[in-house]
Amino acid sequence: MNRQGTIFDIKQLAVFDGPGIRTTVFLKGCPLRCMWCHNPEGLTSRVQLMRSENGCLHCGRCRAVCRHPEECITCGTCINACPKNLIHISGHVMTSGELTERLRRDKKYLENVGGGITFSGGEPMFQPEFLLECLDGLQDMHTCIETSGYAVPELYKRIIDRLDYVIMDLKMVDEKKHRYYTGVSNQVILENLKYLKNSGKPFRIRIPVIPGVNDSPENFRETARLLTDAKMLDFVELLPYHTTAGAKYKMVGMEYRPEFDEGQQPRMDTAVFAEYDVPCRKM
Amino acid sequence: MNSRIELLRNRYVVEKEQIKLRKEQTDPYTLAVRMAEEKLDDLERSVRRLKYMLDAEEPVVFDDERIALLRTNPVNYEIFTEDEFSRIRETHYIHEQGKVCNINPCYSLLLDCGFRKKREEIRKLFPDFDKEPRKCAELNAFLQVMDDIEIFAGRYREAAQRAGNTEIAEMFGRIPMEKPSSFQEALQFLRLLHYCLWCSFNYHNTFGRFDQYMYSYFKADMDAGRINQEEALELLEEFFISCNKDSDLYPGMQQGDNGQSMVLGGLNIDGSESFNELSELCLQASLELRLIDPKINLRVNRSTPVSMYERGTDLTKQGLGFPQYSNDDVVIAGLKRWGYDEKDAYNYVVAACWEFIIPGCGMDIVNVNGLSFPTAVTNALKMLPSCSTFEEFLGYVKDEITKMAEELCDSVKNLYMEPSPLMSLMMKDCVENARDIAEGNKYNNFGFHGTGLSTAVDSLASVRKYVYQDKMYSARELLEMLTADYKGYESIQNMLRYEGPKMGNDDDEVDELAIKLLDWFADALEGKKNERGGIYRAGTGSAMYYVWQAQDESATPDGRNKGEEFACNYSPSLFSRLEGPVSIIKSFSKPHLERVVNGGPLTIELHDTLFRNEDSIRKVAVFVKSFMDLGGHQMQINAVNRSTMLDAKEHPENHKNLIVRVWGWSGYFVELDEVYQNQIIKRMELTV
Repeated sequence: MNRQGTIFDIKQLAVFDGPGIRTTVFLKGCPLRCMWCHNPEGLTSRVQLMRSENGCLHCGRCRAVCRHPEECITCGTCINACPKNLIHISGHVMTSGELTERLRRDKKYLENVGGGITFSGGEPMFQPEFLLECLDGLQDMHTCIETSGYAVPELYKRIIDRLDYVIMDLKMVDEKKHRYYTGVSNQVILENLKYLKNSGKPFRIRIPVIPGVNDSPENFRETARLLTDAKMLDFVELLPYHTTAGAKYKMVGMEYRPEFDEGQQPRMDTAVFAEYDVPCRKM
Repeated sequence: MNSRIELLRNRYVVEKEQIKLRKEQTDPYTLAVRMAEEKLDDLERSVRRLKYMLDAEEPVVFDDERIALLRTNPVNYEIFTEDEFSRIRETHYIHEQGKVCNINPCYSLLLDCGFRKKREEIRKLFPDFDKEPRKCAELNAFLQVMDDIEIFAGRYREAAQRAGNTEIAEMFGRIPMEKPSSFQEALQFLRLLHYCLWCSFNYHNTFGRFDQYMYSYFKADMDAGRINQEEALELLEEFFISCNKDSDLYPGMQQGDNGQSMVLGGLNIDGSESFNELSELCLQASLELRLIDPKINLRVNRSTPVSMYERGTDLTKQGLGFPQYSNDDVVIAGLKRWGYDEKDAYNYVVAACWEFIIPGCGMDIVNVNGLSFPTAVTNALKMLPSCSTFEEFLGYVKDEITKMAEELCDSVKNLYMEPSPLMSLMMKDCVENARDIAEGNKYNNFGFHGTGLSTAVDSLASVRKYVYQDKMYSARELLEMLTADYKGYESIQNMLRYEGPKMGNDDDEVDELAIKLLDWFADALEGKKNERGGIYRAGTGSAMYYVWQAQDESATPDGRNKGEEFACNYSPSLFSRLEGPVSIIKSFSKPHLERVVNGGPLTIELHDTLFRNEDSIRKVAVFVKSFMDLGGHQMQINAVNRSTMLDAKEHPENHKNLIVRVWGWSGYFVELDEVYQNQIIKRMELTV
């Protein structure tokens, strides 16, 4: 339990991340670059500084105390210099033992409310050995994952086998589009889906519905077809794109550049799934 | 709601057309001057005031109404001139405005017999008191008050006839003389009694266990097939709307603080549940109407099913700031511990905000004053440099709490309240003993709020960690920083504010301090008797003291600046960064809450997206239940959206209907003073 990992948040009372009330751990780092990502601090696994512009007095105190103006080493000196508490460090390196010990404090509580722990990100499978150790430390708690499914199949299998519930994205079936909008091919994701369907684990497929990107009836139909034989599928969940997705980019020194029309309403069409007898819900 | 109710809601709540019918504001002392010249005593004045108030009313009945009464005279008349009252103040303790307030009358005492029978009962009592003129005067006052209300009802009957509303005219032909013959009449009767209480200048008049005392009228009509569920709901909704007609005229600290609360459900003494079909309809009415009055309280216990909490959460989703939940398992045990009879404890209700009181027999003053925990800490800080251990310092804090509690107790000497014969008619034992409720009743206990607990706990934890454990600075250096209000020490202050140990993180070492502070508060009051023979009750509420007492309070070791507000009620400090709501409820359920049941809820703000769908609403409901299962006493959750509040501050014209919870009541955000608006926005920053 000594392997180190990097997390960027632990969120209690997560009500959309699996069965019951959950505590969700966000692991930092992701191999995908989805154009609509709303957690830009989850992209790199490096610890980084986040600075909110909202409410900034431009008093210059953060710059005055900075000892590494040439390149930030996240020493944190500027954090307490800010009179409005607008600077944070995103990313906390800890061992699996430390993390699980903290999560286990709420074991009884989460059991009583029919919930457990969910690993999210970033892409939690991007830190596979750390994740596996954490799951080892939480064997007697209900565990769940929110994953893109993008992982080396051998690792994917090992992780799935240790979980109680899986929430996996199927962003797009078309490989070319997938590559364009997320930066990676979906071949390995689809291969992993096959394993998931036969793994005996209850699971949920989530589609982040992005206007003009993946909300076509064709994409939904292709997705539904992939799931007609999934006995342990709980339901497909349509997660509508939200225009606040870009809110945090500036804080991590990035720019949000969606190439789709943000103002357009995403088509939350459950009817296509109904045609194939695949249960589907809107979030 | 049907189209008629929508019309009424629009007339009274949206357009507020009744305000156009009001007379002009005039001098509230005109009557007092006249009565002073006539040398009337306080009881005579009190009777005269009600008559004067009712006479000044111009009855208004609309032809589409089924429950009537509204105020046309906006003046609440005083019975003493300013001079007279300041003389009374010289020799007496005056609570708030010196009126009987914030208690729960037993409306059934008049409702279930009608004035005619009550009159007969009172007439029979005169021989018992023929040698006691004040008692005879009280009995006469009871009779006079009923006469005056009957005359007023008669004027409403005539107005109804003129308006062509025969239904209302007929009702006022029977009530209040006779017991109501239908659910509708019972609601009209209750509206009349409630209306007259405000006209007697009694305020914070709660409805209490409405679903219990109105049930027989509802049930009788339903069983006989005189009304169906839909019609019952319509009547109920009209009654709820009537609570919002004149509420801006009711005295309170802020607009909205009028104490019209209602308690639904609760354990019966035999262990069964009292939540009934009428309770259910009340929830439905409140959900459909989305009005700030009446404010709903739900009594729950360890057997309350999740489905009940789900219904409550549906209501929370509306953003009204209620229901508020109270845990019978803790509250009843606590009240019994304080000497309340078992049957009374099982019958508890919530006063204007969250204080637990007994309907019909308590003359408790539950909000006499507040003990500020941060003040106890800052007073003790003078001794810090001489303390070689943290425990030694804690000893001084305990001494301060004891001393402050004693001072609070001693501050109430020679209490005076204006008599209220009408309120007395609805309080058990008052009629039989020809006693005015202002002189006290079965329970005469005084309650104190406990303000700023989290600020005090965080401050103590900070002293322990940085002065004694880490030795980051000395006691003297800390005192210097506090005296300077952290000027020149900003970066240490930020560390204290955002990284220091906080209550609400499920950290036993920190939470243990909260247990101690509350225990010491309860210990300091235990066994003390007040001048009326009652006890003193410790609580976890703050009322407006979270602003008042903080204004003068110097900087605290948790990084709080001088004058910065404390958290409202029983809640984490405003700037604390906590692990989340689960840690919060675990921390806040650790103290011995059955010892501090004067009242005061844990308040948690949840982002409105958590209420997105049925599944998430069920989970929020489970979360609320889990606080009670952990031994929590009272909880109030809000569905909020901070950006909406910010916009409402900027553009009040666009947010006239935005309702928020303030300290123990809900109000329209745009009508609040800015200091309260800002505090609510700060609270939102803790939103999870």
